[in-house]
Amino acid sequence: MKKVMYLEFERCIGCRACQAACRECGGHDAKERNYVEYVDFLENRQTYPMLCMQCKDPACAKVCPANAIQITEEGVVLSAMEEKCIGCRNCTFGCPFGIPKFDFEENKMYKCDMCYDRTKYDIAPMCASVCPSEAIRFIDHDEMMSLRRRRTQLNLIEGKKPSEHDKWAYVPEFFGVYSD
Amino acid sequence: MTNFVVKPGVKNLQHDDEKLVTTHCCYCGMQCGMHIRVNKKSGDVVGVEPRYDWPVTNGKMCPKGVTAYQTIDHPDRIKTPLIKKNGKFVESTWEEALDLIEKNYKRLQSHYGKDALSVFGGVSMTNEKCYLVGKYARVALGTRYVDYNGRFCMSSAAGGFMKTLGLDRGSTLPWPELEHTDCFFMAGTNTAECHPTTIQWLWKARDKGAKMIVADPRETPTARIADVHLDLKAGTDSALANGIMHLLIKEGYVDEAYVQARCHNYEELKEGVRAFTPERTAIITGVDKEKILKAATIFGRSPRSVVMFARGIEQQRKGVDNVCLYTSMALLRGQIGKFASGVATFTGQGNGQGGREHGQKADALPGYRKIDNPEHVAYVSDVWGIDPKEMPQAGVSAYEMFDHIQQGKIKAMHVICSNPAVSAPNNHYIWDGFEKLDFMVVSDFFLSETAEFADVVLPATTWAEDEGTTTNLEGRVIRIRKVKEPVGEAKTDWEIMQLIAERMGKKSYFPYKSVSDIYEEFRLASKGGKADYYGITYDRIEKEDGVFWPCPDDTHPGSPTMFTDSFATEDGKANLAVVGWEEPDEIPSADYPHILTTGRVVFHYLSGTQTRRTPFLMEQCPEPYAEIHPDMAVKYHLNNGDRVVLITKRGEITVPIKLTKAIRRDHIFVPYHWGKELSINKLTNPALDPTSRMPEFKVCAVRMQKA
Repeated sequence: MKKVMYLEFERCIGCRACQAACRECGGHDAKERNYVEYVDFLENRQTYPMLCMQCKDPACAKVCPANAIQITEEGVVLSAMEEKCIGCRNCTFGCPFGIPKFDFEENKMYKCDMCYDRTKYDIAPMCASVCPSEAIRFIDHDEMMSLRRRRTQLNLIEGKKPSEHDKWAYVPEFFGVYSD
Repeated sequence: MTNFVVKPGVKNLQHDDEKLVTTHCCYCGMQCGMHIRVNKKSGDVVGVEPRYDWPVTNGKMCPKGVTAYQTIDHPDRIKTPLIKKNGKFVESTWEEALDLIEKNYKRLQSHYGKDALSVFGGVSMTNEKCYLVGKYARVALGTRYVDYNGRFCMSSAAGGFMKTLGLDRGSTLPWPELEHTDCFFMAGTNTAECHPTTIQWLWKARDKGAKMIVADPRETPTARIADVHLDLKAGTDSALANGIMHLLIKEGYVDEAYVQARCHNYEELKEGVRAFTPERTAIITGVDKEKILKAATIFGRSPRSVVMFARGIEQQRKGVDNVCLYTSMALLRGQIGKFASGVATFTGQGNGQGGREHGQKADALPGYRKIDNPEHVAYVSDVWGIDPKEMPQAGVSAYEMFDHIQQGKIKAMHVICSNPAVSAPNNHYIWDGFEKLDFMVVSDFFLSETAEFADVVLPATTWAEDEGTTTNLEGRVIRIRKVKEPVGEAKTDWEIMQLIAERMGKKSYFPYKSVSDIYEEFRLASKGGKADYYGITYDRIEKEDGVFWPCPDDTHPGSPTMFTDSFATEDGKANLAVVGWEEPDEIPSADYPHILTTGRVVFHYLSGTQTRRTPFLMEQCPEPYAEIHPDMAVKYHLNNGDRVVLITKRGEITVPIKLTKAIRRDHIFVPYHWGKELSINKLTNPALDPTSRMPEFKVCAVRMQKA
């Protein structure tokens, strides 16, 4: 897998198609593993998708006492292996992004596995496939770098760079997650 | 674990025990391409897979599209005919149900004449079925009273385009061209929530520097990303469009050569917009003058622009005028008939475009022919094999049918694929009308709020259990494919109409064995009309990723870009609109001090009959709410989540409030996909546009009090 997930928050229209699509992924048991949040509904309708960052050095895996969270050779951080998971929920506390969830009925942890059944064939994850505004994209690393550069340039041209006093008015507009 | 097969070049994931059926979504006019996953052994629908090679949507889907397949095998599906006995529905056989229908239809017609019956159609059906609704009403039942729910949705756009351009093709350009547009002027359209998969094209254009102007009383997710948000008062669109045209003329942004060569009324228009100075426009619309100037400058300077609009401007008492004025804005800039520019309305229902061209309208015959034109009647009568004298005259529009029920002129109604008990304005009047009917039949696949009033409910199929064609919002005719066999004893709408026709002694006029039989007749019926589908065959649709109408013969390439050389008027010139501004039918008063406006949320569609039964969609938005500005909440001492009673002259509704600064201080917004006590359409105003007969859903005066 040479591709990365690229998020551009400003594009998010809050439709939650990514969440609906996540439920369609193989083995997800109709539960979404990604989330969409309002920045502040009282102010405006800016929303942002929240996906697993597929960290290079994932906290969830690090704090797992049973070593149940596996990382594939492509760098995808998988849900806890059922046979190893002891249900301690350390991973849910360890992740700074609140991605791993615990299913008390099934007694197992679940998290975004970057649609490994799709991405290992270079097919985009369901969330990126359907996202109508392309706020979530599954693209080449080079394409991501050029998009980042172009977005930075556009921000500068449009005077969008946040300063110290108003930095909280700005939502980070992009970040890429890559696994090479 | 299942083995996965990735077909080379297709880039779709396919499980080895499943097949993928290529079709389109059942909800809005985007008609997003998708594959439905079907288990090969059981034939059950198991999921959805994006269709990356569909050129309009590239695999994109909104949450409704992703979950659309879940309605197919839903436990609430009606699987047998239902007959109401002692106020309760009991299951029956088809024979029993059809006997009852035959007996009552014949009884009523012998007592009160043929026009005692009526048909209320819908446009979430294929072209074939929509075409058949008109024929069924006029030939099988012999009644003049047929109309459809497009009156609540599309008819103002149709009326406006007919007046200005001479033809109603919802978009004058194909969607993928939007990527190359420089400026989008979007009025009364919340594209991000109502047609989300269009947003990818807007962003692609914006990445290249395109500008976006949005006119809407709310800062919708669409307006949020606009360069200029014209936050106008609901119902003041004509003033805004006149104001923009005033500036286009004053600042010299008019394409004079184009206007002189291709448009009428330019001098009259100049005179008409003279009074709409930025100052006056700002006072009427409530929009800051600077924003109007900025919008006119951006629009005026853009080499390629598209004016887009939707229900926000159309569902008004002056909806046709609004459409004419916004279309004239595009004409003044010489934008219609060029690459990546033009004018477009966002079709609401799935087949909102195709369904309005083929004779479901009270005054229309297939191919956009008119029922008051003897030549048109003669042509269609010939195709149908009837005497032109037998062709009923024009009936009345959808809402007016309920006036006729109240007056006792209409005694029976067959509602097909529609839910006016939720979608019509002034709900109490509609419900009362249903109660007054002598006999009522509903064909549907869920027991909708309308079906609950019926004497007989006939189980119809979902879009996935039948095949045919629809026409998307671009005017592209596409294929809907059969995914599985119907559940229980459900039958397709065309089979149902055929069975009733047989009972009415008209079997020979409905000799169809398959959908393609209907399509062949329909092609012929549309031949030579303004909406000419004759050259479009199933094979061509398959090979060419859909074909754009008009397409008069096999060799014609179809018409992706409209009006390149001339317009569809008699002399080929467009008619610029010279219309002033009139206040909405209801304006705020001491008793009703605020403006109520309604609209959609991304999670629901149509009348909510399907989306309220879809778990994911219902979880996201389980009940209606009133969106109000925090400043208004302060005056009423309200907190977020408090319940309020909204009252208009027609009714009241109790809903919780959501506070947001993304709405005008004097407006209240409520979404409208719920029925009965949660239906906001109990409150909306049925004042009708004089041309399109569309009600003024979008603006009425309202009072609010704490519940």
